[in-house]
Amino acid sequence: MIDNGFPLTTEPSILKEMIAPPNLVSKMLSVVTGNASNVSDTLPSGAGSCVPWRPTDPKYSSNEVYVDLVEEMDAIVNRDGELVKCEIYGEVQMNSQLTGFPDLTLSFANPSILEDMRFHPCVRYRPWESHQVLSFVPPDGEFKLMSYRVKKLKNTPVYVKPQITSDSGTCRISVLVGIRSDPGKTIESITLSFQLPHCVSSADLSSNHGTVTILSNKTCTWTIGRIPKDKTPCLSGTLALEPGLERLHVFPTFKLGFKIMGIALSGLRIEKLDLQTIPPRLYKGFRAQTRAGEFDVRL
Amino acid sequence: MAPPAASQRYPSPSQPSGKSEVSDLKTQLRQLAGSRAPGVDDSKRDLYKKVISYMTIGIDVSSVFGEMVMCSATSDIVLKKMCYLYVGNYAKGNPDLSLLTINFLQRDCKDEDPMIRGLALRSLCSLRVPNLVEYLVGPLGSGLKDNNSYVRTIAVTGVLKLYHISPSTCIDADFPATLKSLMLHDSDAQVVANCLSALQEIWSLEASHSEEACREKESLLSKPVIYYFLNRIKEFNEWAQCLILELAVKYVPSDSNDIFDIMNLLEDRLQHANGAVVLATVKVFLQLTLSMTDVHQQVYERIKSPLLTLVSSGSPEQSYAILSHLHLLVVRAPFIFAADYKHFYCQYNEPSYVKKLKLEMLTAVANESNTYEIVTELCEYAANVDIAIARESIRAVGKIALQQYDVNAIVDRLLQFLEMEKDYVTAETLVLVKDLLRKYPQWSHDCISVVGGISSKNIQEPKAKAALIWMLGEYAQDMSDAPYVLENLIENWEEEHSAEVRLHLLTAAMKCFFKRAPETQKALGTALAAGIADFHQDVHDRALFYYRVLQYDVHVAERVVSPPKQAVSVFADTQSSEIKDRVFDEFNSLSVIYQKPSYMFTDKEHRGPFEFSDEVGNISITPEASSDIVPAQQYEANDKDLLLGIDEKDENKGVSNNNGSAYTAPSLESSSNITSQMQELAISGPATSATTPQSFGFDDLFGLGLSTAPAPTPSPPLLKLNARAALDPGAFQQKWRQLPISLTQECSVNPQGIAALTVPQSLIKHMQSHSIHCIASGGQSPNFKFFFFAQKESEPSNYLTECIINTSSAKAQIKVKADEQSTCQAFTTVFETALSKFVSLTFDFVSLCY
Repeated sequence: MIDNGFPLTTEPSILKEMIAPPNLVSKMLSVVTGNASNVSDTLPSGAGSCVPWRPTDPKYSSNEVYVDLVEEMDAIVNRDGELVKCEIYGEVQMNSQLTGFPDLTLSFANPSILEDMRFHPCVRYRPWESHQVLSFVPPDGEFKLMSYRVKKLKNTPVYVKPQITSDSGTCRISVLVGIRSDPGKTIESITLSFQLPHCVSSADLSSNHGTVTILSNKTCTWTIGRIPKDKTPCLSGTLALEPGLERLHVFPTFKLGFKIMGIALSGLRIEKLDLQTIPPRLYKGFRAQTRAGEFDVRL
Repeated sequence: MAPPAASQRYPSPSQPSGKSEVSDLKTQLRQLAGSRAPGVDDSKRDLYKKVISYMTIGIDVSSVFGEMVMCSATSDIVLKKMCYLYVGNYAKGNPDLSLLTINFLQRDCKDEDPMIRGLALRSLCSLRVPNLVEYLVGPLGSGLKDNNSYVRTIAVTGVLKLYHISPSTCIDADFPATLKSLMLHDSDAQVVANCLSALQEIWSLEASHSEEACREKESLLSKPVIYYFLNRIKEFNEWAQCLILELAVKYVPSDSNDIFDIMNLLEDRLQHANGAVVLATVKVFLQLTLSMTDVHQQVYERIKSPLLTLVSSGSPEQSYAILSHLHLLVVRAPFIFAADYKHFYCQYNEPSYVKKLKLEMLTAVANESNTYEIVTELCEYAANVDIAIARESIRAVGKIALQQYDVNAIVDRLLQFLEMEKDYVTAETLVLVKDLLRKYPQWSHDCISVVGGISSKNIQEPKAKAALIWMLGEYAQDMSDAPYVLENLIENWEEEHSAEVRLHLLTAAMKCFFKRAPETQKALGTALAAGIADFHQDVHDRALFYYRVLQYDVHVAERVVSPPKQAVSVFADTQSSEIKDRVFDEFNSLSVIYQKPSYMFTDKEHRGPFEFSDEVGNISITPEASSDIVPAQQYEANDKDLLLGIDEKDENKGVSNNNGSAYTAPSLESSSNITSQMQELAISGPATSATTPQSFGFDDLFGLGLSTAPAPTPSPPLLKLNARAALDPGAFQQKWRQLPISLTQECSVNPQGIAALTVPQSLIKHMQSHSIHCIASGGQSPNFKFFFFAQKESEPSNYLTECIINTSSAKAQIKVKADEQSTCQAFTTVFETALSKFVSLTFDFVSLCY
């Protein structure tokens, strides 16, 4: 929020209070009243307090706090199936709906695996430095508490084995996708997409599981979903090269997408979340989720 | 006047003319102005909205100014805000009418709602009408003392606005002092931050003509102030934190404890979620530890992982900006990221500008331990779909090869590229193989066998073709069919469009001829004939030159065209280290992204006073001294450079890629000139009292001569100086560092005369009239410091002078550095003469006054 050219605040929860994000109710209201603006008339109450990220005195009938671990796996796999690079970028996202002025302490079972954390301004630095615990007064509503990286991962949950052989103007392509190391939860929404090289004039691809689509810009997407128990999903087919070309010189890079609910692949675990003063009817919830970030498989 | 009926309905927005609508609005506003009826605020709001929307789309609605002001007597905050916006926009154009608004704005400044007080104060300060400033002082003063922090925040920026309208009013009301006490005592972080930015601006603008402001500006950088800010830094928002960190960069720590204290205070800023804060902190760390080498290395280790995270998280634009900074760091300290090279592997989806920078990073971090992996990775990109990146990655492989690590494996890889049979890969690789052979001739055998297999028909790009032809000529004895390949190429002379290729063909044919004369003779004849008939001047000239050299003596021709070569050890670096240092000083700014210092891409008027980094802080550049004369001079110089460049190029081409030959002919003429000048000096020296080259008794003579007799008649200085000399500050600084002090001299000056020297400008003007230009000046009474430069009339030989004048002891200390040591004494004489004239002139003036 810029106030006459000067920055006033960057805190998302305060901004939301100033300018309500569009929702169904506000749309209805604006249609009925003809008032198109979502900007509120008053300055948020937290703007002048010593914890500017929190409104002064929110009240909730039921006190709820949710912690989500959201991780993204970035990896590069070379044509021999070796892991060239693999790391996880993770965020701790919270949604706190707590009455009054709560003081939270969040601790991890294995904080030593984390590298280069960055914190929301509400996190006190000293407790983290001495005991590796996060102590903070949370903003109200959803916010990103911290982000981190985890390096030196040895394994990916899914493997992709592409093969291309080309001979006298046509290419045979086959891609196998399977589970390499079972994370203990189901791997969902697996997709594989790649760009067909420019010199491919036509492609005939089919799979024994899931659907294959080829768009006009030569982007090919194979939607697998979950991997079935009885067979290994396989994409196969032929690519016809433009006349005059014998072999394929340019190889596509496969981009893998997947999602695993209920587990953080980095192995990071939340130990406990404590409140200094426990309000009545407190509900604490934890979730974890891992998805593929930039996951490239080269051929 | 519109008929009343029309005023009842609102003008339809589909009518774009605006003229009649504005007059419509005017009448409607006038009707509403006096009305106190219920609901009148709502209709006013509608009208105001229309006025504002016209204003924003560019229709001139200044004609309703009076009506708007009349309607503004309301308690509705929305109406007020719109009215303030309107008034702020048009007040400057209607200074007389804006007087009307003063009254209600002043009244609003005393409103009980702090929001309205703040808004009114802001609008009052935004009027920007010089003759209304008297009305500003009162409200601003009470605004600064307001008990609501929002009002104080606005009042502080209001002071800055007032300063820009009328500096004297602002200073007379003693606002800077009030701001200072607010800055040090206010509880609200935003007020403090605004005070800091306002004071920085005011004092740095004041500093040029007020000693006190200069001192105040310095005091912002004093230890207590810096520590005060750093201790409170967590209370501020991100922007203010960046502001404080920028301030901390300029702080000169007193000792190493100081440095460690600051770093401990700021350590956690590196884990801030905001990238700008992280970068600003990194800058503080780097600048603080510049003098402590071992700590500086530790700092690199510490800042590494935050920066790497910033690269991998966030948008590609952010990655690009951070990667540019990493590139700057890695050039200064290549080891830091050597173990983290995998972070610079390109992902498939990244935009090509990020990929390109990552390739540069990979080249920069390559060392003995990781070369193999990096080159393997780069080879992957060579087969990439994106042709531009494939080319870049091949070039990167070549650059790594030239860095001398593990050349063996890389040469193999490069040769594999040639077998990929993709025209652009082959083209890039050929250029690289050529460069490699120039550096490592021992690899010629392996390379030639592969290169020999490439058909010249498959290569279209001029650069690649030229590289291939160069290799054919250079290694004609190792390639059995070299003469025939060349012959083929020469037969197709007409189809060759690039002059570069034709030039290389000529040279290659010559070289081949010296090695295998019988086979090449015919081809050479054809080439020379075709070359002489060529329409391109360079090709024509070179063919003619070869022809005549051959005619004169074949052995001489061989010595000229194909002498034994030395391997090139280092290829020229494009950017000077001085520029790199300059860019490093401007860390965390656009300079890093453009990879050049800010003075190269900002206009002169926007540059502002910047400081010599290696001199004491208070000396600022005075751009006006040279700005008006620079352009013409520079063009001239450029032209000369161009001519010279071409000459040299031709010369080099003439000797045909002879890399060993440096071109440094001593110019006899200029040295004889100097000696004759020196003689002249020696002869005419005694004639004028002030130009005595010997400095014995000079002080006496100087002092006495001035206080007793009127100054001697000015004789033209014997050393002719260029009246329009030009030198940019960067070059000056570099020269000043490089050159040794040729002469140090102290002389006393007439105390009465020098007493007139209260501002540096007067002396600068005076010296300029003597063709001695000031590049920087500073200091305050009684100590002044000047940096002067001058150029010889006939040649670009510079004289740099540091002159410290103490007005209380009436002494001037002069340090001279010169390109040419021989004429240094002569220049000093000229300089002192000029200085003495300044003194005498003012002395005359002073005596007249008595």
